[in-house]
Amino acid sequence: MWHEVRGLKDDVDFGTPPRDGPPVSLEIDGQRVTVPAGSSVMLAAASAGLAIPKLCATDMLEAFGSCRVCLIEIEGRNGFPASCTTPVAEGMKVKTRSEALTRLRKGVLGLYLSDFPRNEIPGGWSEFHETLKAEGVTSHPYAEGGANHFDAKVDDSNPYFLFDPTKCIVCSRCVRACAEVQGTFALTIEGRGFESKVVASQNQPFLQSECVSCGACVQACPSHALVEKSLFDGEYKHA
Amino acid sequence: MPNPIKPEKSVITTCAYCGVGCGFKAETRGEKIVRMIPWKEGKANHGHSCIKGRFAYDYYNAPDRVLTPLIRASIDDPWKAVSWQEAFAYAASEFKRIQAKFGVKSIGAVSSSRCTNEEIFLTQKLARAVLGNNNIDNCARICHSPTQFGLTQTIGAGAASQHFDSILQADVIMIVGANPTEGHPVFGSMMKRRIREGAKLIVIDPRKTETVESAHCRADVHLAIRPGTNVAILDSIAHVIVREKLYNEAFVRARCEVAEFDNWKALVGDDKYAPEVIGPIANVDPADIRRAARLYAGGPNSTIYYGLGVTEHSQGSTGVMCLGNLGLSCGMLGREGVGVNPLRGQGNVQGGSCLGSWPHVFSGYRFVTDQATRSSFEAEWGVTLDAEPGLRLPNMLDAAVAGSFKGMYIMGEDPVQSDPNQHHVIAAMKNMECVVLHDLFLNETSKYAHVFFPGSSSLEKDGTFTNAERRVSRVRKVIEPLAGLQDWEITVKFMNALGYELSYDNPGEVLDEIARLSPNYSGMSFALIDQIGSAQWPCNKDAPQGTEVLHREKFPRANGLGTFMLTEYVPTAERTSDRFPLLLTTGRILTQYNVGTQTRRTPNSLWHPEDVLEINEQDATARGLQDGDWVQLASRFGQIQLRARISKRVNPGVVYTTFHHAKSKANAVTSDLSDWATNCPEYKVTAVDVVRIRAPAETESFEAARLEATE
Repeated sequence: MWHEVRGLKDDVDFGTPPRDGPPVSLEIDGQRVTVPAGSSVMLAAASAGLAIPKLCATDMLEAFGSCRVCLIEIEGRNGFPASCTTPVAEGMKVKTRSEALTRLRKGVLGLYLSDFPRNEIPGGWSEFHETLKAEGVTSHPYAEGGANHFDAKVDDSNPYFLFDPTKCIVCSRCVRACAEVQGTFALTIEGRGFESKVVASQNQPFLQSECVSCGACVQACPSHALVEKSLFDGEYKHA
Repeated sequence: MPNPIKPEKSVITTCAYCGVGCGFKAETRGEKIVRMIPWKEGKANHGHSCIKGRFAYDYYNAPDRVLTPLIRASIDDPWKAVSWQEAFAYAASEFKRIQAKFGVKSIGAVSSSRCTNEEIFLTQKLARAVLGNNNIDNCARICHSPTQFGLTQTIGAGAASQHFDSILQADVIMIVGANPTEGHPVFGSMMKRRIREGAKLIVIDPRKTETVESAHCRADVHLAIRPGTNVAILDSIAHVIVREKLYNEAFVRARCEVAEFDNWKALVGDDKYAPEVIGPIANVDPADIRRAARLYAGGPNSTIYYGLGVTEHSQGSTGVMCLGNLGLSCGMLGREGVGVNPLRGQGNVQGGSCLGSWPHVFSGYRFVTDQATRSSFEAEWGVTLDAEPGLRLPNMLDAAVAGSFKGMYIMGEDPVQSDPNQHHVIAAMKNMECVVLHDLFLNETSKYAHVFFPGSSSLEKDGTFTNAERRVSRVRKVIEPLAGLQDWEITVKFMNALGYELSYDNPGEVLDEIARLSPNYSGMSFALIDQIGSAQWPCNKDAPQGTEVLHREKFPRANGLGTFMLTEYVPTAERTSDRFPLLLTTGRILTQYNVGTQTRRTPNSLWHPEDVLEINEQDATARGLQDGDWVQLASRFGQIQLRARISKRVNPGVVYTTFHHAKSKANAVTSDLSDWATNCPEYKVTAVDVVRIRAPAETESFEAARLEATE
């Protein structure tokens, strides 16, 4: 605990909180990396400068394992585990890049992209936008006109930030920031599957909810669905 | 706008609101601040923030910000906008005239805990080296002066023993007269994190605050005491510790003055402090006092955090001593996870305390009466210094009413709104011949000022703040000062106008001067802070990167031992009566900050547009009150009108309000009693009555006053 809030670097997102523990060495993409026991593979990779793409992970929050973008391959193990929820082990050999991983990541990112307002892609600079760029995902194979969230209403009740659910990728980072970092528990995910959405209190506007406007959710949001109003000139409208 | 516009630049700086001192990245486009993002490497906040620091920064840009110096010969005249040069010359000539006519000691200065360390140091230098007296005080007088006194008496250092992160090692957390989730929200979040992990929580507070119960956080013991009975309840906790032999004898023998411990045991061990006796006095269940005592003494790591609910009493210093005694008796000092820690209200209360803005001590709490200390300052400043301690702020005001005190330089404070017994403060202000106010906005005090220096916000200047955990962090200029000068430059130029030659290239040179003259700061420099982010004092040869936990091996007292002060409970003279049957206590809420100068100028007022009076249903029913009714709140000192809110947060017999809005004038009703040792006003207990009224009488609103002033 003591260690987990310390040692965060402003210019590096380790993906999961640092841990205290005896040193453990592993190999990531052929590079030997030593980190405290209890650390995630994602943290080990980031601290060696081998950042693994991710959306639902950030180092102020415990790992969640929902976005499936940070998948890796581990020698001797089946499948493609999420690097954020996989703790390091002595002698572990990890691959962060392979043809299969690229295919899987592009598949997942394409799904996210298919339900993201198309006109909001150009010029975007959120973590989501940057991840799409870095992974070279510019299109998705799905037909237009399928089920989507494009008509969801913007909640601009709070004077300082707005919530645009059309840009929400339901990674839960806001919900977890409200709980873990701020300790207010004002946010939750309501519904299941495609119906899942972020809501404040009992599905109330942010201003009327228990939200204390600490900004932790806005800071945690990877897709500018929760975003400071001060970053816009004039009214907030979809392109 | 399809996407947010990317900020162009960012500067790492320190939040100027509460004593947590969060690190922020201030992001700009052109000369406009577009976002404040909490800095992950900030050691006080680790990337977290609250609504004030994160969002309520736009006050710097408020339309009524004063951007030119103003002067006037009489407070009945309209303000006249003048050049900086003219303002300095006028203020200096007035101060010189007054001193020639009424004597050197007829003028004083007051600095603020919202100023940087460098500005605070310069202001006391102005009083001592330029005005030639020790009439220098700061607003910690009215909040944490008892901390300075009470903790120094017991554990040797008037400052937090721990760094904030220490709470993550605590097993038992005792919060006394503080509401961290509202007043120090980022620290409050860290505290709640530890409570979710299983730490026990004891809260001593008349009010059922958000800290007492919120999502996944509930106090194991809440002692909802009658306001004014802190010392009684703390002595009673000590009584249980002594009688049940829960104290840490080994620690006391190794680290404390044993004879004093025995004296203290005899005092608090007396039957008169038994929970069964004190319970009815403090209006709490004696069993809860016993539970609190056993929890605290049981640890293994127990820590105390306290706020103005301890200090702002006629026995404020005694209350602080009680906490020092408790920590020593149970061995809860000198390692991580324990300690006795004041939660400081404003960003730089600790700095204000450390840096000699007091009438009796220089920086590092060294007495002005001490020849050797005075000589070191005289050598550095090239002047002879007055050996006689000066006037405290309340004494300056008294002397002004009496007619012997005629001028004041007030930097970044609004005493008319924030000091007790407003009518007396106003009488003092009206009696002075030259009040020089240095602030961002015209305020309640400016109505009585003759010179106004338009200051710079913390976003427009360089310097350092010392937070509640003794951490010195950099304040960095994000945008150019709107009125043209940074605050430290204004003070230096005013000193020049008064005939004292000095110049600094940047405030880093002031910090260097502080380091040369103050042992605890001797290792501090802009270079060090730039390199390691921040450093906690003591920062010196033995601890070149600062010190997180104090008192590990010994206490900073002459013999190195902690000692016990005798803390007899003396009830305050402020009592309820037939005429004033309720006790008023005051506090603050999350979205507003202090007298609201900054936050009232932001959308934060959406959450708290006015101060309201919290009253228990029983007392409300007895007065025919409904939620939202207007009431008149009256005390022996004055009356105000505000709306009532019926609330379960306060017990019958207790009412509560905040003091964030000038128009509600909460301090028109607070008493003129103060701490016996330090004159810290007793804001937390005033006997009052509440009467329903039909509609608010015409009160002179802040906005009306402002319009009048700018017309």
